[in-house]
Amino acid sequence: MDSKDIILDVENLNTTFISDRKKIRIVKNVSFQLKRGSALAVVGESGCGKSVTMNSIMRFLGRNAIIEADKIQYNALRDGKVTEHRLEQIEKPHGPEMRALRGPEMSMVFQDPMSSLNPVYKVGDQVAEGLLQHNKGMTKAQAREKVLEMFRKLGIPDPEERIDCYPHQFSGGMKQRVVIAIAMICNPELIICDEPTTALDVTIQAQIMELLKEMQVKDGKSIILITHNMGLVAEMADEVCVMYMGRVVEFGSLEDVFDRTSHPYTQALLRSVPVLGLADGQKLETIPGATPNPADLKGGCEFADRCPFCTDACREKDIPMFQLSPGHRVRCLKYQDYPVAEGGEVQGEVAEVQ
Amino acid sequence: MLKYILKKLLMMIPMLLIISFIVYMGLRSTGVDPINFLVSPDVIAANPDNIEALRESLGLNDPLIVQYGRWLGDLLRGNLGYSLDGTPILQTVATRLPYTLELSAYAMLFSAVIGIGIGIISAIRQNGIVDYIGRVLAVLGQAVPQFLVGILLIWIFAIKLGWFPAANRVSPDATNAFVDAFMHLFLPVLTLTIGMVAVLMRYARNTMLDVLNSDYIKTARSKGIPEWKVYLKHGFRNAMKPVLVILMFRIPALIGGSVVIETVFSYPGIGITMTNAITSGDYPVVLVTTLIIAATMLICSFMVDVFNALLDPRVRLDG
Repeated sequence: MDSKDIILDVENLNTTFISDRKKIRIVKNVSFQLKRGSALAVVGESGCGKSVTMNSIMRFLGRNAIIEADKIQYNALRDGKVTEHRLEQIEKPHGPEMRALRGPEMSMVFQDPMSSLNPVYKVGDQVAEGLLQHNKGMTKAQAREKVLEMFRKLGIPDPEERIDCYPHQFSGGMKQRVVIAIAMICNPELIICDEPTTALDVTIQAQIMELLKEMQVKDGKSIILITHNMGLVAEMADEVCVMYMGRVVEFGSLEDVFDRTSHPYTQALLRSVPVLGLADGQKLETIPGATPNPADLKGGCEFADRCPFCTDACREKDIPMFQLSPGHRVRCLKYQDYPVAEGGEVQGEVAEVQ
Repeated sequence: MLKYILKKLLMMIPMLLIISFIVYMGLRSTGVDPINFLVSPDVIAANPDNIEALRESLGLNDPLIVQYGRWLGDLLRGNLGYSLDGTPILQTVATRLPYTLELSAYAMLFSAVIGIGIGIISAIRQNGIVDYIGRVLAVLGQAVPQFLVGILLIWIFAIKLGWFPAANRVSPDATNAFVDAFMHLFLPVLTLTIGMVAVLMRYARNTMLDVLNSDYIKTARSKGIPEWKVYLKHGFRNAMKPVLVILMFRIPALIGGSVVIETVFSYPGIGITMTNAITSGDYPVVLVTTLIIAATMLICSFMVDVFNALLDPRVRLDG
């Protein structure tokens, strides 16, 4: 696959936070590729590094974060021509190179629409801001037309009236549409959605997700969806990346991860999804224990203490990534015991850990 | 918006009436007998009948509420009454108040610009050099009492170096009014500014830091706009609301509370007038000066409301 098919290529991303003069590794050796026009779901418990990974790529982290990677390559495709951007080589997180990408190339939909909009500006102006920034010479009237068009597309009723409202006059679902409008207005190729529906009620969740899916399918956008809602994953994703304590523990296509679930953590995650019609007396499963404090981690598998299949070997050293079949990778020593897709072949170690 | 401002303005009228009533009643019920200031005790003892007639003619035997009404009527007609030594209070206020206003206005202006400026830079460059120096200065500025700062400044600049005069507002032999004003205002304004900068700097820094950590700042960055726009357009306006409240409520404190500074610099302002009136029991003057301070307080809180409404659309609707 060349850079035309891959929109984002991340290799060995490490993010370390400095807290009280101690270095704490939050994201460890994360590697993944996102195919152009596809949707990747990143799942895992709270605090497992999903958001930090994405914020590292977008360079939204504060000054106490150190981002290191062998490669964070974003391939922009415009008029059949590919321009490669090596994000890890860009020095200033908010310098001109990053800013040129934010908006027209990659954008982000944030988790909490309630706090993601500036309370003191009209929503229309907030959406138009990015548009005016990246299209020099565009007049305010033209921008307004574009914003209205986007509002219509996103199903905001009475756009002519609503465009001059302030965020506090909007409901949560409508605010999230505005946040999506901000992310979409410059027509980016890659949209990172950081738990876009967590703060919304269920009916609105479905509407928002439908909107995102439509954009991905119709407009050929690439989407990264951070979530812990397995239902959303099944509906939205082409590929799934399961993270635990800052590491990718399993990566594969939707079928790989859901039907040939390998890593004990993924299995546990899938078992703890509530389903309608749970039998009387049947309890919803939970994963025993809690996520450890990243500062206290010793070597070995991060999941060892909560894993039912843990052996001594698991605690000895960091676990490498094993390939089960093309595109399906798992970070577990028991990789040989897991079901393999037809025609697949267990290849063993594919990535060295550091 | 206009309706909101009008409503707030109209609400000031009953507030002022209530305050004037409380102050009047409070002062009169302290047992001050105005006659004691007019006539010497020997005369009072010798001519009780004449004193009684004097009381009657001055209206001092009427119920307090009637006297209050009379006083208020005079006040509304522009007659602030007379000090117990006979000078019209209007005259005292007209000469003293502008001096205090001048002093306060300059102190406000400089401390706002410097304090908020350093505060914002400290927040943007958190743990940078400006932040460190600013933090040290803030602690110093808040910990050292103002009168000490004033005395130190006088000692250094007026006595040792002789650059500035140590007291008063106007020199009798001044040739250039502007230079004269600058020379006399410099040290007291500096003293007041040092104290206020310390407070404002801390406050501006902390609110700006809060705002910069909020989600909408991340949204603003995700649009790819330059950092100065992120700070000024999205950060500053949101951070200024609480700072403005602090700033505005410093004004009444400056006008009524710069007594210490006015004393240290023998500055002929309204604060010193008020303290003198209190110590000498000159209650008509105390009444008027208290009302002036109360009125400034109300005006400032009105301005806070207006500014807040201008800065934040959410306030406008609630009005």
